[in-house]
Amino acid sequence: MDTVTNWRERLISKTTRPTRVTTYKYWLWLGFLILITGNGAFQYWKQWQDGLYVTDMRDRISWGLYISMFIFFTGVSMAGTVISAMLRAANAQWRASITRVAEFITAFALMIGAGFIIVDMGRPERIFNVYIHGRWQSPIMWDVMAITTYLTASLIYLYAPMIPDLALYRDRLAGKVGAVRSFIYRTLALDWKGSPTQFKLLGKAITIMTLIIIPIAVSVHSVVSWIFGMTLRVGWNTAIFGILFVAGAVFSGLATLIIIMAVLRKTYHWEEYITERQFKYLGYMLASLALFMIYINVSEYLTAGFKFEEGSEFAFRQLFLEEFSGMFSFYIIFGLVVPVAIVLIPKTRTIGGIVVAAVLVNLAMFIERYFLVVTGLRVPLMPYEPASYSPNFVEWSIAASGVAMFCLLLTVTVKIFPMFAVWEMTEEHDAAMALTQAEETLMHEAAIAGPRLSTEVSPDSGRPAEGGAS
Amino acid sequence: MTYRHRLLSARVSISILAVATILVMAAPALAATVDIAVGAPDKVLVGQDVEVKAVLSEDGVPIEGAEVALTYQASLGGESTRVEIATGTTDETGTAVMFYEQRADDNGEMQVTYLGPGTNPVSPYVFTIAVEPGGEQLYRSESGVEIPFVNGTLVILLITGVWSLIALAAVYLVRVGREGRLEEVLSADDGSVWISVLLAIVAVITAIGMVIVFVRVPVLNTDLTDPEVYDRTQIAYIGATYPYQGFGLDEEPSAQSGDPAFDGGKVYFGYGCAACHGVLGQGAVVGPTLEDEIGSLAQFIDDIREGPRDMPAYGEATLTEADIEKIYRFLDEGG
Repeated sequence: MDTVTNWRERLISKTTRPTRVTTYKYWLWLGFLILITGNGAFQYWKQWQDGLYVTDMRDRISWGLYISMFIFFTGVSMAGTVISAMLRAANAQWRASITRVAEFITAFALMIGAGFIIVDMGRPERIFNVYIHGRWQSPIMWDVMAITTYLTASLIYLYAPMIPDLALYRDRLAGKVGAVRSFIYRTLALDWKGSPTQFKLLGKAITIMTLIIIPIAVSVHSVVSWIFGMTLRVGWNTAIFGILFVAGAVFSGLATLIIIMAVLRKTYHWEEYITERQFKYLGYMLASLALFMIYINVSEYLTAGFKFEEGSEFAFRQLFLEEFSGMFSFYIIFGLVVPVAIVLIPKTRTIGGIVVAAVLVNLAMFIERYFLVVTGLRVPLMPYEPASYSPNFVEWSIAASGVAMFCLLLTVTVKIFPMFAVWEMTEEHDAAMALTQAEETLMHEAAIAGPRLSTEVSPDSGRPAEGGAS
Repeated sequence: MTYRHRLLSARVSISILAVATILVMAAPALAATVDIAVGAPDKVLVGQDVEVKAVLSEDGVPIEGAEVALTYQASLGGESTRVEIATGTTDETGTAVMFYEQRADDNGEMQVTYLGPGTNPVSPYVFTIAVEPGGEQLYRSESGVEIPFVNGTLVILLITGVWSLIALAAVYLVRVGREGRLEEVLSADDGSVWISVLLAIVAVITAIGMVIVFVRVPVLNTDLTDPEVYDRTQIAYIGATYPYQGFGLDEEPSAQSGDPAFDGGKVYFGYGCAACHGVLGQGAVVGPTLEDEIGSLAQFIDDIREGPRDMPAYGEATLTEADIEKIYRFLDEGG
């Protein structure tokens, strides 16, 4: 068995590996992402010049792919909060190796998501009017407020637990990395010396952020749903939207985390730290959320379909039978039912299987966001022909560049920032080691004390003898 | 004529014959008729309790125990139908007293109908009760409900609380940095606190700023209880005519500054030219540019009067020649 120091040294070496080693594959991947982002930027430049006319959004369907992307990415940003804050608050012992990735996903997804609001604006330079002339009566205002708060809070929440790791990078990588990165580490590490007082103060900051970031995150996704739920449109006019969006956000956030974890694990050989255990636990969370989502959907469509108020016929027909039935059934079958099956069947409950489930979930959740937005606007409010909408090349390019930019931010981040919370993992490892040690000692004592005590320690009569032998 | 048509006409003939037979047989009964007399107010207000008395007699003898119903003509959404609003039974004097609460603002034709016990048809007593303007609606939905403590102040308190906590966390981070400097004075140059100080300052300023932004214009931003704030949109009625409130069609004097190019700009915007031709006449997706190809004034006037391609034509009644000349001057000077 490793000593604690050896284990820690190996962890540090593995964590810092991306900052020290860069292969040609990395540059290829980076180039690919820049290409897609560049195309999106070019298309946005066109949109900037000619206005939203270059998209396929028109007067009747005025929200489309951009708003779907906005909801999707704010949903993905739930990952950090759920994994990190909820597990930290619950003191789960397997979380330390995945929290940092989750927190980065939160911050980046939120930036991209908020960006899509600006992309959807015909006059983006007027964004500050929202702050200057904003009125509390408007749900858009609530959204601006909630997202600003969430972005600030999640950045601090990302930054605070990273300080000891940045200090580690500052000390270990001094002279091995360029001036820019050295400056970043030196500046951001805040003179961290690892003294007990510093740990105490840092602990206080982390505790505050852990406790407030969960309600803030819930508020963000509720408020996003209220942009729709506060209107009188058939399909949106429901109180369940808040719950649907929060649950959906956690759902797609988890799925994104699983995918990115799998990619990083494979690329940087982090199998020792991101184990099947983490995937399985996240898979269980994914499955339980899928079941909850199924329940929400049944509840929503049953209550609306039973009463069948004016316009519901159209809404149900387009969703269940006509234009959007393909998307809807994909969402229900491959986004909700199949992932549950994958996680529940022991044979498919492997890392590969769970990643497949996560990819399906993310696809389905994106599709769900899309059809929720478009079908809601399609139901005619007056006796006119229902409008049709499908995103054109400009919109797809900008949407794709949003995804690419998200990957780009993560790709660059891997090369600069510690993706593992080394100090938290060490603490966790120490605790686990101490537990094993204590158990062994106990076993040993039990073996000496004889069979009477051993039955009290463990009902398994074989184990004390083994402990005694070691 | 097809078989079906023949069958139909046969059925119609039989029906007419049957009705005629019934009418002929009922003729003696109709002769000994039930008389209905009604006492009711001429005018009522909405919300008022109304008493309607009906006196029934047969050949001058009061009928006791007869059932009567009071109906009015209700119309909603183009559909008109007779609605029963009260029923009554006559006493020994042949009088039935019925009450109803006036809800409709127009009763139309009111009727008291004899329901029985006799089976012979009795023609109903027709009268009117005019509904005067005024009165009180039974229930009128207000634009909002005032709930104590649920207001903008609560929202501001909540936001302030959340941002104060964020700022507090940032302050702890500043203290983390300071702690590091205190311990090792010698290595002062290899680290810094400024980033955390910056972070804390930004958090505190944003916290205060957020509150200021929303408190700044209380009526517009936070006072959710003042109904005046809501009534920004005028309520219009279908079919009514309202003067256009914006500039252009009813505010001629504001384009009379004396500077033709300046006035032209106002007219240009007021009549919506900018919507298609761009703010400076540079052209846009729908309308072509007016910068270079504007031509002579006469040609310009002709174009506006005719409406080339899909552009709407503006006649003399809408846009005077003087106004067109002003627009021409405005565009001629480069918008």
